[in-house]
Amino acid sequence: MNGGKVTLRRTAGLYAGAAVLRLALFTLFPGLPDLLTGRVEISTPVTSFKRLQEGLFLYNHNVSPYDGGVYHQAPLLLPIFNLLPSFSAFPIFTYLLYIAIDILSAHALLRIAESGEAGSSARFTSPRRDKRWSGAIVAALFLFNPFTIATCIGRSTTVFTTCAILHAIANAISGRPFHAMVALAFASYLSMYPLLLLPPLILLCYDRQKLPATGAPNAWIKFTATMVMDVFGALAVLFQMSFFLTGSWEFLSSTYGVQLTLSDLAPNIGLWWYFFVEMFDSFRSFFLAVFWLHLSSYVGGLSVRLRQQPLVVITLLLGIFSIFKPYPSIADASLFLGMVPLYRHVFPLLRYSFVIAAIIIYTTFLGPAFYHLWIYAGSGNANFFYAITLVWGLGLSLLVCDLAFAVLRDEWEVERPEMAGKEIRQI
Amino acid sequence: MPRLLASALSLRRDPRLLKLPPYLSLLCIVVGVVWLFLLPLDDYSRRTYISENALLPGQVHTYFGGSDQNVFRAYKHETDELAGKGNIEVNDKLESIAKGLGLKVGRQNFTYSSAGNTHSGQNIYAILQAPRGDATEAIVLVAAWKNVKGELNRSGVPLVLTLARYFKRWSLWSKDIIFLFTPDSIAGPQAWVDAYHDAHDSSRVASLPLKSGALQGAIALDYTRETRFQSVHIVYDGVNGQLPNLDLINSVNHVAGGQMGMGVAIQEMWKHSNSYHDRLQTMLRGMLKQGLGLASGPHSSFIPYHVDAVTLQPFGEGWQDEMAIGRVIEGTFRSLNNLLEHLHQSFFFYLLMQRERFVSIGTYLPSAMLVAANFTIMAIALWVKSGQPDVQEIITEKTKTAEEAERIVSPNPHVASERDLFLPLVLVAVCQFLGVVPLYLFNHLSESALIPAFVLFSVLSSILPFLLSNLLHTSTTSTTAQQYHLIRSFSLLLLGMFLSSLATLNFSLAFFVGVFSAPLTFVRPCPNSSTLRWLSMVVLYVLSPTTVVLVASMLPGLDEKVGCGLGEVLRQAAFAWDVTGTYTPVVVWCVWWPAWIVGVVSVLGRPGAGDKKVKKA
Repeated sequence: MNGGKVTLRRTAGLYAGAAVLRLALFTLFPGLPDLLTGRVEISTPVTSFKRLQEGLFLYNHNVSPYDGGVYHQAPLLLPIFNLLPSFSAFPIFTYLLYIAIDILSAHALLRIAESGEAGSSARFTSPRRDKRWSGAIVAALFLFNPFTIATCIGRSTTVFTTCAILHAIANAISGRPFHAMVALAFASYLSMYPLLLLPPLILLCYDRQKLPATGAPNAWIKFTATMVMDVFGALAVLFQMSFFLTGSWEFLSSTYGVQLTLSDLAPNIGLWWYFFVEMFDSFRSFFLAVFWLHLSSYVGGLSVRLRQQPLVVITLLLGIFSIFKPYPSIADASLFLGMVPLYRHVFPLLRYSFVIAAIIIYTTFLGPAFYHLWIYAGSGNANFFYAITLVWGLGLSLLVCDLAFAVLRDEWEVERPEMAGKEIRQI
Repeated sequence: MPRLLASALSLRRDPRLLKLPPYLSLLCIVVGVVWLFLLPLDDYSRRTYISENALLPGQVHTYFGGSDQNVFRAYKHETDELAGKGNIEVNDKLESIAKGLGLKVGRQNFTYSSAGNTHSGQNIYAILQAPRGDATEAIVLVAAWKNVKGELNRSGVPLVLTLARYFKRWSLWSKDIIFLFTPDSIAGPQAWVDAYHDAHDSSRVASLPLKSGALQGAIALDYTRETRFQSVHIVYDGVNGQLPNLDLINSVNHVAGGQMGMGVAIQEMWKHSNSYHDRLQTMLRGMLKQGLGLASGPHSSFIPYHVDAVTLQPFGEGWQDEMAIGRVIEGTFRSLNNLLEHLHQSFFFYLLMQRERFVSIGTYLPSAMLVAANFTIMAIALWVKSGQPDVQEIITEKTKTAEEAERIVSPNPHVASERDLFLPLVLVAVCQFLGVVPLYLFNHLSESALIPAFVLFSVLSSILPFLLSNLLHTSTTSTTAQQYHLIRSFSLLLLGMFLSSLATLNFSLAFFVGVFSAPLTFVRPCPNSSTLRWLSMVVLYVLSPTTVVLVASMLPGLDEKVGCGLGEVLRQAAFAWDVTGTYTPVVVWCVWWPAWIVGVVSVLGRPGAGDKKVKKA
């Protein structure tokens, strides 16, 4: 009982600390939010706070927010920000909203960590599961990750998606599939790509539902159908509300269409923009299809191979999205890096942890330096920056691979206990 | 193939491999430094050439001269009378002259404060609108009332006025020409160019009432002497070691050296025999200036805005007169006037070693990168080392039979042992953040407090490692050898990363900091040999940031002055930070100094001392 109180106090202290740090950064360095909002590493065309302001201005003046082709975000964000007191007069309310969202995300992550799902899912129990970090540590690693802080200060709207995804996972684990699906629908509504998380999330819900399967052989089909209907029902409601709000279906092409066709080629830390800048127009649609196919092809394979541990599938997918989605930012990386500490038990099996950390830290500094050389100093060019984003992608994909390796090895050692600790060799 | 892979993998486990990195690091440093000294050789440097076809330097007749000599003399009389008068009075006179020429005139006030002093003044500028242009592009001709040394620009200002009158007569300009007169050589141009690009802090610097198009280039004239001269000295170092496009220097070189037949000097090498020694000296002077990142003339402030600029200084005893330098400027302006787009063809990263010889970034960058890489190599090696169970200690401590020792060692030679990351991360992070203290201190104190603050800080920074080291040992859980490995690993990793990022922005600074902190790669805790420890300590303290700053301030300066003194160095650093935004102090206090502190702490370390006690108890 007492222990519970102590942890509660520690968690509250952690959240308060994170909130105070962010608030201090917002208020003590008034130039910082705008500086970070302007960074391409943080703000992409589909998440930029500056563009949100533009959309909000048009919306308030009874013009379609999508006129002018600047705003590419979901329409429902507009009334939310409209409810807040004017940003120019009282920026503090916007700051508080972003801080609250970050803490909500951290709380969902804490629930995921406390559930122990990462170490022992319904179908698989890792022999190493005892070595894990408490929820507070995992939440702290998320909250005090510089990438998370920079995203919050840069007021990227990715934080809403992050929050929705984490809540979807947390609800799935705590056996509330409907809540999970609604949360996922919100995430998909805001950013579209989270819809790809649906299959592993259904698996997770199925494994963790409170009532055991009723023995009926086709129970899973019914379950899946319900889940899919839940998501699409929630999405339909959201779309209908958006339609009422903007008065046309224009928002579909302006938000999801932009992500699908990559019509805004502003540089970002992803791999798409440079490729499509160089592309001949006749090949454009073909390669768009290939890139999207590539992104979505991981879902099926990972879900099948790691059927026993759906949370791992979700984590790996988040990592893959943060590399290969059309407009990635460090916010996506921060979500992935926030999920990784859940797998503390397989950390000893990671082989490249130092290399990965070194690559990520190096690119964090070299990226802005090269961007500066390109845009401001004029002495470099786009290749400088793109080279670094490739290395950044390399670092993250190494982490994805290494984590997949560690988890699979963990499974394998359960199957073949005699091989524990032995070196693997390709035959 | 699989066998090859397997043998490669087994090689990875070879303990001999871990003995290699220190030698590899040493090799990197040696190669990096030797590389630099090879650059002046003919095989590694190249002759300069004009890349931008549109420039056509030295292809036009220059007509400045003749009766313009009389105009110059008249203006010189006018400006000579202004010597010693106030800034506003001077500007009133300049305004009346410029307006008399039919130019639009604007004024701008600025006030900077740095180290407790205020630097204020008023810029005045006149715009000659291009007869064949649409005011979308402009070239700037700058004459500061006083040069960087504080001498009156006696001939420069009247010559620029004469040129303004002369240029006004021509109808061939397709770019606006802006004539800028600033009261001093650094703060004034900085205020003007900031305001021109709307990047100024409007509480200190007024906005410009009058503007023209995008600046394509700038030439500053620093002409204090009143007698005839021999050749012209090109100053090209920008703020933070940024350089103008090499094409601009080449053009001036072409016009002055080729067309006008006067010599050209760079980096204060008044006599250059084109020997290896002279080339090396030129290059090293250039690197030193680049590394310091200070503004070296009125042109320096333009370069961060991607406006290529140089300062011309006539020097030496010869027979060239004012008209000759006027024709050099005319020729250069005619070339710049030809530009179809911004200078972009030629190099922005180069080291000049003679007026017609340079090395480009691809050739010289490896030297700084190798020096930076040595830290990364060592950091990776230390990380690997920290993951290995301390085999020897186990064996020697517990004198068991060979069989048992074998058993202890064999279970997991492949799997890295768990690392205790918390303490090393915290220590390195704390040291990094402490770097903000000197940075803030030296940039916000007033001039009189700078020297006492520096002395106090030097003493504190010498004591700090001892305090930290004691803290590491008195705490309940004593620091282990593994933690020391990790502390050094993280610190070196950060240093390597900062330096390799910096090398792309300011090569020289990265190189110098890298060389000065090279011993940090090799120092390690030496619990057994106190001589080795004291030797390491002496080396580290001799190469500490504070010692280097102190010694550098005592050494004779570049212009043969005997050491400008500590106070002057600190004052200049604060001025550069406040006015021109030089980031060298950040590198010294937030990159080099923290790494040095961690280095000394690890030399002082007595790893595992507490561990043994625990075991015995």
